[in-house]
Amino acid sequence: MIMDRTSHVETAALSAEVEGLLDSAEPQGVFRDTRECEGALLLALLLLGSPPTPRPKTDPKAR
Amino acid sequence: MAEQAQGAGAVPLSAVVADAANGVVLALAGGGDPYALSRLLRQGDAMASAAIRVLGADALAPYALDHRAVPGGENDEAVVREALAAYPPGPDASAVSVWTYRGLVEASHAFLPGGADRFPQAPRAASAWVTDDPWPKLSHRVSQLAALALPGVAQDLADRLTARTDDLARGFVRAVRRRDWLQAAGLGRWLARLPDVPPTLGLDTGLAFVRQMSDGDPRVALHVVAARQFYGRGG
Amino acid sequence: MSGDRAAPASLLDHLVGGALGWLDTVRDDFRLPPDVTTDADPDHTLKPLGELAELTYLISTSHPRDDLRRAAGGLFAFAWDETREGELFAELVRGEPHATYPVEIYGVFAQAGLRAPAVDRLLAATTALRGWRVAREDHTRTLGVLNAERRIGLAPHADFTTVLERTNLGMLSEPWALDRKGAYGLTHDVFHLTDWGRAPGRLPPAYADYLRLWLPAWLENWLDEQLWDLAAELLAVTACVSAAPYDTVAWQRLAAAQESDGRVPDLGAGSSSGDHAATFTSCYHSTLATAFAGTLTRVALDATGAGQRAQVHESEVAP
Repeated sequence: MIMDRTSHVETAALSAEVEGLLDSAEPQGVFRDTRECEGALLLALLLLGSPPTPRPKTDPKAR
Repeated sequence: MAEQAQGAGAVPLSAVVADAANGVVLALAGGGDPYALSRLLRQGDAMASAAIRVLGADALAPYALDHRAVPGGENDEAVVREALAAYPPGPDASAVSVWTYRGLVEASHAFLPGGADRFPQAPRAASAWVTDDPWPKLSHRVSQLAALALPGVAQDLADRLTARTDDLARGFVRAVRRRDWLQAAGLGRWLARLPDVPPTLGLDTGLAFVRQMSDGDPRVALHVVAARQFYGRGG
Repeated sequence: MSGDRAAPASLLDHLVGGALGWLDTVRDDFRLPPDVTTDADPDHTLKPLGELAELTYLISTSHPRDDLRRAAGGLFAFAWDETREGELFAELVRGEPHATYPVEIYGVFAQAGLRAPAVDRLLAATTALRGWRVAREDHTRTLGVLNAERRIGLAPHADFTTVLERTNLGMLSEPWALDRKGAYGLTHDVFHLTDWGRAPGRLPPAYADYLRLWLPAWLENWLDEQLWDLAAELLAVTACVSAAPYDTVAWQRLAAAQESDGRVPDLGAGSSSGDHAATFTSCYHSTLATAFAGTLTRVALDATGAGQRAQVHESEVAP
């Protein structure tokens, strides 16, 4: 369990590190979202929800 | 993050802390040999002192559990006194620095056999922030004091935080959203101690979720295990 | 919301006025193309127009200020004109008899008393099918269809409460477990349940307590992410919850995101490409949502000041 710490480290030098670990600044938020919804978000498809059902095109080749 | 000490071949303090936190987790969870702080972090090792100061009251947390550990007597006292002597909060120390120091002192009085006269007195710590901080700031600060969420430690603080339970619960929501697992775990641990946590928060599933999401971070695990062992939350 | 209501009211009115002003300047971008019932992408044509109609009608009948009601009313009348006084819906339904969106959008106008008899006859036939009652993928969207059926006077195809219980709101989902999609869904659960804030009393107390408790956390999250349309929607939800405090800071942050021309970007500072169509696409929704939230909040503010609960013209719901 005890790690090998052979080098002598000055207590004074450690003080800042101790303080840094105790009172660390809040990290930047990491915002990740479920990927399946990202496309919809870009289009702001929000008010009515998901896109409507596919519909026939006038061009028969598009079917 | 803190600058790492540059000593040649030095193990970063954060790694020493993580390793020690792991030892505390094992002890709290009831695995392995009986816990003895002075075997985990040895006397005369500057890094060990620093790690005890960072872990604060948590260095002694296993002693707060019945039947799980036998305090290591003189040796434990010596390493704790060494840490308290090496890293006292200075005149312009942050509130977190003072409070965590206080937490270690209180835990020494409560859990080590030497009694209060063998350790420094707990320093006075400003507490206006408990009422004045907006909830996101309050939540971050309280999470930094997670080690004080121990039975018999910081009871006054616990009483005062009760009035801000909903705010701390909001902080938990914010921390999870930000994927700040350490903050979320620290807040969850405090919430486990406080009465009247809103049931819709889902604290028990939340603690389990945070532990899994942190992918084995020992400091996160420590808070989650403490919430379960001392306050019965988190399943 | 006790104390001085003048400053919040002034900020809200400025925000709503600016938003409606910008929407008026981009009116032409809401116009439907000739191929709207065939080839055009409904997400870029009918969806924006449907949102414009839903929210400007709400504002035109609810806002305490006459000038803002009139501005919104002008946009709503424009939207009805674009549907050729409802003829459009007959074409859409004949083209896609099993689609829900023509029903959802027609419901907005039907609620305002704007009907097209041919559409009513069509919908009576298309929504009477067993197939119309088959469960749909998205429960929140189903609530929107149910609300449209109520507005039009059609029989509900499912039990509203049963569907609601399957949503994030109905499940009282762990507040930390909402991702963006979940949060958008939750705001719309509230909008459909309360008929877009007209009937806040329909929010069961347990749901209101849940929202009152967690809305500040969600607002902080999504204001921090600068996702302005979601922040506006969350502020609109806040206005639907009785005794939820006016969030001064949140409103100031949203107001600071509004451009000088009145539009509100969807994300961050918005794009500065100068491309008009891209600007419209990225801003119309967040700008509408801001005007909507500002209106509901203004009404709630007035109601609180008058010692009564916000009540948005429920009497005007179509018979």
